Amino acid sequence: MKPKDKERVLVEVTQRVLDKWSADPETSEQALFDTLYFERQRLETEKDRRLARKQSAFYDEIQSKALHSGPTQHRDLLRRVIRFFADEVVGHFDERVYKLSTKAVPVGLDLLLNAMSPMKLFRRGFASLGSLDQQLVIEGHTESLQKVAKLGTTILVPTHSSNLDSILVGYMLYRLGLPPYTYGAGLNLFSNKLIGFFMHNLGAYKVDRRKKAPIYKDVLKSYAGCSIELGYHNLFFPGGTRSRSGKVEQKLKMGLMGEGLNAYIHNLRAGKDKPDVFVVPCTINYQLVLEAETLIDDHLKEVGKSRYIIEDDEFSKPKRILEFVSQLFTLESRIHLVISQPMDVFGNPVDDDGTSRDSRNRPVDRRRYVEINGEPAFDAQRDREYTRELANSIAHSFKKDTVVKPIHLISRTVLDWLLESNQDLDLYRLLRTGGAELSMPMTELYRRVERNLIKLHEMEQAKQLRLSRSMRTRDTAKVTSQALAHLKSYHRRPALERKGDRLFHIDRNLLLFYSNRMAHFDLTQQEV
Amino acid sequence: MSVRNAMDVLVVGGGTFGTALASLLADNKRRVKIWVRRQEQAQEINTEHRNSRYLPDFELPQNLEAVIDMEQAIKSTPIVLMAIPSKSFRNVARQVGEHIEGDQILVHATKGIEIETFKRMSQILKEETCALKIGAISGPNLSKELMAGHPAGALIASRYEEVIRSTQALFRGSRMRLYGGRDVIGTEIGGAFKNIIALSAGMAAGLGMGDNTKALLITRGLSEMARLGVAMGADVFTFGGLAGIGDLMATCASPLSRNHQVGARLAKGENLEDILASTNQVAEGVPTTEAVHRRISAMKLDLPIANAVYARLYGGWTNEKVIEYLLGLSVGTELARLRF
Repeated sequence: MKPKDKERVLVEVTQRVLDKWSADPETSEQALFDTLYFERQRLETEKDRRLARKQSAFYDEIQSKALHSGPTQHRDLLRRVIRFFADEVVGHFDERVYKLSTKAVPVGLDLLLNAMSPMKLFRRGFASLGSLDQQLVIEGHTESLQKVAKLGTTILVPTHSSNLDSILVGYMLYRLGLPPYTYGAGLNLFSNKLIGFFMHNLGAYKVDRRKKAPIYKDVLKSYAGCSIELGYHNLFFPGGTRSRSGKVEQKLKMGLMGEGLNAYIHNLRAGKDKPDVFVVPCTINYQLVLEAETLIDDHLKEVGKSRYIIEDDEFSKPKRILEFVSQLFTLESRIHLVISQPMDVFGNPVDDDGTSRDSRNRPVDRRRYVEINGEPAFDAQRDREYTRELANSIAHSFKKDTVVKPIHLISRTVLDWLLESNQDLDLYRLLRTGGAELSMPMTELYRRVERNLIKLHEMEQAKQLRLSRSMRTRDTAKVTSQALAHLKSYHRRPALERKGDRLFHIDRNLLLFYSNRMAHFDLTQQEV
Repeated sequence: MSVRNAMDVLVVGGGTFGTALASLLADNKRRVKIWVRRQEQAQEINTEHRNSRYLPDFELPQNLEAVIDMEQAIKSTPIVLMAIPSKSFRNVARQVGEHIEGDQILVHATKGIEIETFKRMSQILKEETCALKIGAISGPNLSKELMAGHPAGALIASRYEEVIRSTQALFRGSRMRLYGGRDVIGTEIGGAFKNIIALSAGMAAGLGMGDNTKALLITRGLSEMARLGVAMGADVFTFGGLAGIGDLMATCASPLSRNHQVGARLAKGENLEDILASTNQVAEGVPTTEAVHRRISAMKLDLPIANAVYARLYGGWTNEKVIEYLLGLSVGTELARLRF
């Protein structure tokens, strides 16, 4: 963030959060002591002891004053705590790094990915740099994104299945000639120095998910809102975290998304020249997902639901990243990034010229949605519903712009066969035991794949989904062999392995993970 | 905006229910206009204060003005209330969509479901207009009783508080008590499904069956309504309110109900086509039965009364066969399928 905006944002964020939490003396007192409690708990497990001591001293001082003061002082102390959080969030920006980023990121990414395939570098020399271009397929409404980004502030909302997502999105933005996007990234992403460097350069700021105080979450939301108002493009993952199950996100987090609407209303009230905020969904589609094993394990564990921060996954192990990237190149495994049609903050599609459209393609005066007696105004209940409408539109775009790849189809087909053949077992027992048959005949697999391919083609014609290039060939054998090559590589245990004319299922959890990418598509077979 | 405040509400649709609602609001001293398609009808309402086609026995309020210019009328109002039969609902909604804007409230009072798509009316409004602040009114509201000034109650359901508050304000002080709720799906399913049960209750009455049978149909019909509604995402408690049991009681008990009348005439052996041709009023239960039948097959829901009514209307079943079928079903635990 530019220095001239930085102080402005700090003041604004602090004031907004303070206004919310100091409506009456009881609320501010409660908020202050709750925050102190949450922070003390966090500091007990803080590994950086020097930092813990420093922050403890700050909270000790606040607590000591709070215990001997009244409502006015509580409000002032609350302001200090909010400002402390705001400084931490906003303080990670550096204009010099920001400017450097457009040059550093692409080169860095190529180095990162190619350096992990040293043999290739050796064979082809450094001319092979830039091969990321071939590995990454960027399609969809790319020009629309470029155009609306000039007309207003954009919020890019991608699907999320890997920590590599934000890096790839950063690269995509560079390729499209767009500036880095402001992005709240979990602290764990910065633990890897190399990745952390790129995260900074991609416009990321640190989000400490261990901070549980509601006030901290409000600071983050307000910060995003203020940065949008000032015209900084933002990147949110609306699923909130990486999809544990492998499914395309359909239940989206509303909190951050609502900041787009808030910023729009603030801008209208301030009479800004370019008040508009546009939301642009994006799907990121891998054949192999770097962290698939950890994610699906987490999904299947009961405790998985509460485990929000995973610090020991594949992303934290450079060797695994290396193996993953190596497989990407070996298998010529393309990653598709699909940009959906931009929409306004109410979920209406938006033209390249920034005009909102209704579902009959008639122009919509979007300002009217927020007018009360002719003036733009906030209405908390109404605005929550508008954001829900937006979330529905994003979820719909996610489905429509999901790229179905061979690995998804084969996983789904085999899992459907397993479920049909073991109707006496529930899904979880089936995953654990594998059921009655250890393998299925390849002829049966081909028959089912062919049938599913026909159905998927019909769905693509109806614009319900997208298919990767190999899927479009309708070549059952090719699709199957490509999927099997992926499913037996990279992961510690193969998901499937062909032996002669039979296909053995080995890691069924992975099958579930990859098949879930198609869970919301009805293939007239049992869904998982 | 001053233009928006030129009137309080525009009722779209000059049929029986639209006219009854508009009259009720006009009597309640609201500045209300009613949009009708035909010039002659508008003239009759404006000069003679009558709607001879749909409510011939009633004089309409002097302050109720009919218009045929939809654009001008929509521009002048903050609230548009649609009362259009489900069959033509989408077409009229599309016309409304040409003029309505995002600050306006769009409410409907149509108790039906689109046959081809199984879409509820609020979904159609979403597809055909840019409006987001959408609501649905439903409840035991027989038009002739409303016109006679008898007290009545209904539910306005919307996800938007503003829609609930503003619509309630229109009726405040009138003889219609409008309660608020958030369950749009349940409200619409209740309003549509009760017409199927009303057809069956009419048949039972036409066959000379008594109150025991009627009560049986109402309560088992309520159970079917709730099963369908919950499967579609409704709150089961909605069906215990005005839009559920309330509406069922009125429609199934009253000979004033159009669906009840159609059922009774079917019981006397009349042909469905002849019945429909002989009335200028719409019995929503007939298309709704077809829509629901298509859907429940796909959803694998077991709704025996709805199935039986469908078979009587479209499957060539006789009255006797319907009775035989329903009485032949095995009897289970009463609330078994409602324990969610």
